[in-house]
Amino acid sequence: MTESDQKRDTQVMDRRSFFRAGGGVAVSAAAAVLPTQDAEASESREERLKARYRESEHVKAFYRVNRY
Amino acid sequence: MARMKFLCDADRCIECNACVTACKNEHEVPWGINRRRVVTINDGKPGERSVSMACMHCTDAPCAAVCPVSCFYTTVDAVVLHSKDLCIGCGYCFYACPFGAPQYPKVGNFGSRGKMDKCTYCAGGPEADFSTAEYEKYGRNRLAEGKLPLCAEMCSTKSLLAGDGDIIASIYKERVMKRGYGSGAWGWKTAYKETINV
Repeated sequence: MTESDQKRDTQVMDRRSFFRAGGGVAVSAAAAVLPTQDAEASESREERLKARYRESEHVKAFYRVNRY
Repeated sequence: MARMKFLCDADRCIECNACVTACKNEHEVPWGINRRRVVTINDGKPGERSVSMACMHCTDAPCAAVCPVSCFYTTVDAVVLHSKDLCIGCGYCFYACPFGAPQYPKVGNFGSRGKMDKCTYCAGGPEADFSTAEYEKYGRNRLAEGKLPLCAEMCSTKSLLAGDGDIIASIYKERVMKRGYGSGAWGWKTAYKETINV
């Protein structure tokens, strides 16, 4: 190998370091996406199962008109 | 504790399909999926009956029994809901359901179907109440707003009843006492394992 070839190898990124750098970019991109997923967290188990039905005026009106 | 149930008074259903349309509009249900549908038996013949069908939110839900990822859960209100984040779209619940309620948005290669979609009793899903994520995945959460499923609320002939099982059963009983038994409350025995003493 000539001296000029050795010099070029040190300047140009080789195949292995190119993919290593690419992997680093992918990891940082994924890290940037993660916080938005956390923001839409699901309810806790108790929250999911809790009763939501209540006999509001709206519901009472529904029962009343259905008796006609 | 009130148990939420549907009751279709088949003697009153006129097959207008307004329940189907209202549901699709309220929850912006994707093309190809009907959370509710009207089934007509003996169409065009004497004794024709129409029944509005959706998920009946069964007491011992067969869909939940067969789900390999346990994505179903029953709320204190007895509403059967599921998590689309857990669903793998295997289709087992569709085969298990006696009412054909589970629907899938896709027909892809190798049997891929997408996340299962079904009636939520207008009670949303496991995401936070009134959140955008809940609306996009499951539709509106009317139950948390103090309302009942829209399909029943806007039924023009008051054929489709929804709400506390005891109250809607008493409403139905009053009707039957006046007019006679007719076609019965279709699907109740299958869904709730009860005999209807009316």
